[in-house]
Amino acid sequence: MNALALVRAHTRVQFLDLLRWPGYVVPTVLFPAMFYALFALPYARTRPQVADGTTLGFMAFAIVGVALYQFGVGIAQERGRPWERYNRTLPVGAGVRFAARIVTAVLFGFLTAAVVALVARAFTPIDLDPAQWLRAAIYALWGGVPFVLIGITIGYWTSARAAVPIATACNLLLAYGGGLWIPPEDLPRVVAQISPYLPTRQFADLLWSAATGSGAAPALLGLAAYTLLFAAAAAAGYRRDERTRYA
Amino acid sequence: MILEFDRVCKSYGAIRALDGLSFRVDRGEIVALLGPNGAGKTTALEIALGLRSCDSGHVRLFGSSPRSAAVRRGLGATPQDSGFPDMLRVEEIAWYVAQHYAHAAPVAETLDAFGLASLSRRRAGTLSQGQSRRLAVALAFIGAPEFVVLDEPTTGLDVESRRNLWEVVRRAGERRSILFTTHYLEEAQALASRILVLDRGRLRFDGDPATLRGRLGTRRLSYVGADGPVAVTLADSDGYVRNLVTSGAAFSGLEIAPPSLEEAFLSLTGGNV
Repeated sequence: MNALALVRAHTRVQFLDLLRWPGYVVPTVLFPAMFYALFALPYARTRPQVADGTTLGFMAFAIVGVALYQFGVGIAQERGRPWERYNRTLPVGAGVRFAARIVTAVLFGFLTAAVVALVARAFTPIDLDPAQWLRAAIYALWGGVPFVLIGITIGYWTSARAAVPIATACNLLLAYGGGLWIPPEDLPRVVAQISPYLPTRQFADLLWSAATGSGAAPALLGLAAYTLLFAAAAAAGYRRDERTRYA
Repeated sequence: MILEFDRVCKSYGAIRALDGLSFRVDRGEIVALLGPNGAGKTTALEIALGLRSCDSGHVRLFGSSPRSAAVRRGLGATPQDSGFPDMLRVEEIAWYVAQHYAHAAPVAETLDAFGLASLSRRRAGTLSQGQSRRLAVALAFIGAPEFVVLDEPTTGLDVESRRNLWEVVRRAGERRSILFTTHYLEEAQALASRILVLDRGRLRFDGDPATLRGRLGTRRLSYVGADGPVAVTLADSDGYVRNLVTSGAAFSGLEIAPPSLEEAFLSLTGGNV
């Protein structure tokens, strides 16, 4: 069986399983949009510039949240389950399974970000043309990858119980420090100094570059570095799990 | 050759799960791995499936390490009990597993063979224990693999479902090699062409069901002799009684009983429990 067909099969099954838990899916998809409506909408309603910045920031927040929660916490919980053990007896390597998790997380995160964008379109004078939206969408898809890898790293290095608070702390701190909620120029000075080095900030910079037309290269470079770093950390976590659970 | 264990040892801390286990499964054989709980059956199976590595010795699946995903293309296994994602339908799970194999049988055909056709749209979480068990066994066959490994295929089933499942496995197992674990002596004798008895990580018996039956044709004989109670387990109980009587020795309370399953194990495993 070729690897691509297998990635598709694994992704399909993960999506089917996910979509049949509406009690999980609906709040997960709506939460960032609700957060956006509560905290950004009051400022963005009248000012197109603010609308552009906050909407793209909250879209990044939506994707980061899905990547850390669904995939960090999800893996930590699934690791010891019989279905995971059974999957290890199938003729499929870790690469295909990782790829399917990344595709599922990125698509699901994208859906969540799209809800934020729809709310912005309906209630703010957000001022992006179709070409800018398209660029933002492409950036949103690819920029989510390092966060899925951070999620997988959390999933393999922490226990099922610890994964929830750790993913929450990472999500909130990274979102705040990266300027996803508050524009970077309004962050406290110490935080503002760290901010440019955070992956969330680079993700936000990437999305903002779609609106402002500024260069995306520095942000892409930073995200690529984080992708490599956490791909290595996730792979090391996977091997650690293999050594302990499947020794 | 399909599977070979060569002096395989495996310990978990101070516990020795496998202690120099050697056996092989050849093409077309149906081999039962029989043993009491804690005998090392699960560990042996996990090593054969690539879920664990051994401390020493060699394991070869189709001549290579079972830890390699490519080698497992010829292998189908059963998931453990109730391990399915609750929300997936039976046909979706079957489809998913079939995707991993180049020559998988049509999903509907396999589900039908295992009596699951009417359940194909049911969510896995709503299956009864017996239905889950049948699905688990069906998944091992769905890829039409050359070698099928079944972990306690009928545990928890009632007698009738157990017999039905044996029949299905026998039919699906034609032209395939199968290794299965069980702690039912009857199941091993009904399905297997060869039986391995495992105790404390060692092989105590390796032979065909008829030979095993012969070995288990022993009787447990007890009486009170001149020096106190005597209990022996032996094959020729008639001859023993004849000698006892002609010897003229005093005895009382003579009893002859067939061995229980536990005693059968004792006689095979050298009496050290």
